[in-house]
Amino acid sequence: MNNDLMPPLSTGAKLRRAALACLAGFVAAAGAAEVTLEKLLNDPKLTPKRFANHFEDFDYEYHVYVQPAEKFLAARAGDCDDYAVLADHVLKQKGFNTRLIHVRMVGLVAHAVCYVTESKAYLDYNNRKYTVNLEKSGATLREIANKVAGSMEANWTSATEFTYSYAEDRKKMGITVVKTEPPANDPDRRKG
Amino acid sequence: MIPIGAKADPGRTPPPPLQLPVKDNTLRRVSVIFLVIFGVLAGVAIYAVKTINRAQVSSDWVNQTHEIILEVDGVLSTLRAGEGAMRTYLLTGDRRDLAAAREAFAVTTEHVEIAKALTRSDENAHAQVLRLEDLANRRIEWSERLAELREGDDAAAVQEALRTDAGVDALGEIRRAVERLREEQMALLAGRDRESYLQAQKTRWIVGTGVGLNFLLFAAVTWLLRDDLAARRRAAEALRAANEQLDAKVRERTTELAASNEQLTMENLERRWTNQALEHQLRYNQLIVDSVYDLVFVLTKALNVTRINPAVVHLTGWEAKDLLGGPLQRVVRLEENAEEPVLSPAGPIAQALRDGRELRERAAVVEDRRGRTVSAKVTLFPLRDRDKVVGGILIVHAASVSQEGKA
Repeated sequence: MNNDLMPPLSTGAKLRRAALACLAGFVAAAGAAEVTLEKLLNDPKLTPKRFANHFEDFDYEYHVYVQPAEKFLAARAGDCDDYAVLADHVLKQKGFNTRLIHVRMVGLVAHAVCYVTESKAYLDYNNRKYTVNLEKSGATLREIANKVAGSMEANWTSATEFTYSYAEDRKKMGITVVKTEPPANDPDRRKG
Repeated sequence: MIPIGAKADPGRTPPPPLQLPVKDNTLRRVSVIFLVIFGVLAGVAIYAVKTINRAQVSSDWVNQTHEIILEVDGVLSTLRAGEGAMRTYLLTGDRRDLAAAREAFAVTTEHVEIAKALTRSDENAHAQVLRLEDLANRRIEWSERLAELREGDDAAAVQEALRTDAGVDALGEIRRAVERLREEQMALLAGRDRESYLQAQKTRWIVGTGVGLNFLLFAAVTWLLRDDLAARRRAAEALRAANEQLDAKVRERTTELAASNEQLTMENLERRWTNQALEHQLRYNQLIVDSVYDLVFVLTKALNVTRINPAVVHLTGWEAKDLLGGPLQRVVRLEENAEEPVLSPAGPIAQALRDGRELRERAAVVEDRRGRTVSAKVTLFPLRDRDKVVGGILIVHAASVSQEGKA
């Protein structure tokens, strides 16, 4: 596990997560069975919360490029991109409306999360170890960026919605919100 | 104040009350100063919050500027990496190199997209990023064309393309564009940093001034309270002195009143004794007069009867109420004396009173209620108030009662 690349957590988040760590440990021990892409796709009861529960004991390991899903699941180690892209890939096939979002923060690598519209929350690899592994948030990029940056006690500069497919192995950048611009000018707000 | 014991003069304006040196407006002044203190505190707090917000905005701009620099640097570095991987692929034909080149070019595109979004609000920078995008895309397209030639195993075409490639110049142009954009962003950074520094200095000055002003105001409040306490101490001292003076006057006046009261009590006692003595003497005299067998008349100067003794009632049969206020002539008349001429028309008694003389043993007649007469001898004594004759006392010594009626 590369803790140097792990984004810092807020004090409140650390306390909350430390308090829930024991409970999460029991749950993780009980559900530590190997997870595969097929198993995830064939789970009829899969929800965002149930999806996140599979990753409680995964390690953090930074890669420049997105790992293939099976490789990530087999290694049980990856980064925020691997987790968010996999969540987007699986949950979309389960009928959920998902969005991949990159939040750029000062001095940190861009952090990816997967927003699930039905849950009004996003899946964050930093939250994988805890019972509350879905972070509630508004749907706009600015709201999500504020929430993500706040949880890491950092300032964000921009947030971009993107898409990714394992087949193409390419990220396609969508709309970008810049923090210094007036919120009324945000592309997702104008679009909405 | 009216001194104790002095008589109040209704026509005189009362003197003003005792003026105590207490500053009644101290509370108002302290309240005003505290209001100013709270106002300054609120102003400084509001300004500080606004400054923090401005600092946050400024920090966001600085972060964004750094982000733009990183993104355009990323464009150049990933483009170089992609071209390097592509040239390796051209030499080796290893598709992993081709994949690496395409990965790098994809990241180049990501950097360009982010840079475009970040410079949306800066027209000049945005135009430069668009130009950078154009240059980068042209290099990526050129690389893809080379890849196609390599995949077609047309080594001669690849060599010809590489020979005619102006890649060094193109990359140099991209590098210069990146450098220019970076310099402008650095200039922006310097400007924003200077603005931030001046803002911080201004904030320090304002907060320092506010705190200093509040210290001065607190000092003023302390001075006011101290001055007020001193004034109140002086007032208490003046009040104590006034009370002592008042107590002394009250004691003095009480002593005087006690002495006067004692004297009045003695005078009242003496007056009562005197009155009692006079009443006793009066009763004694009355008893003497009433005990006299002769008839006694008290007369006015006009010879009207004002008082009689019981002998008169007894001898004449008239009640006192019938005689009092009436003329003496009704009961007593002097007999005429040839040797003494009557000068007054009212008779010798009136004449004697007017002259202030006594009459002694003069023959007279007393007539009772039924008209009977009695011979008598009368004596007149004038009554004097100082030197003036105010009346007289007539004493009638009756001889016997005549059996002859008046009619």
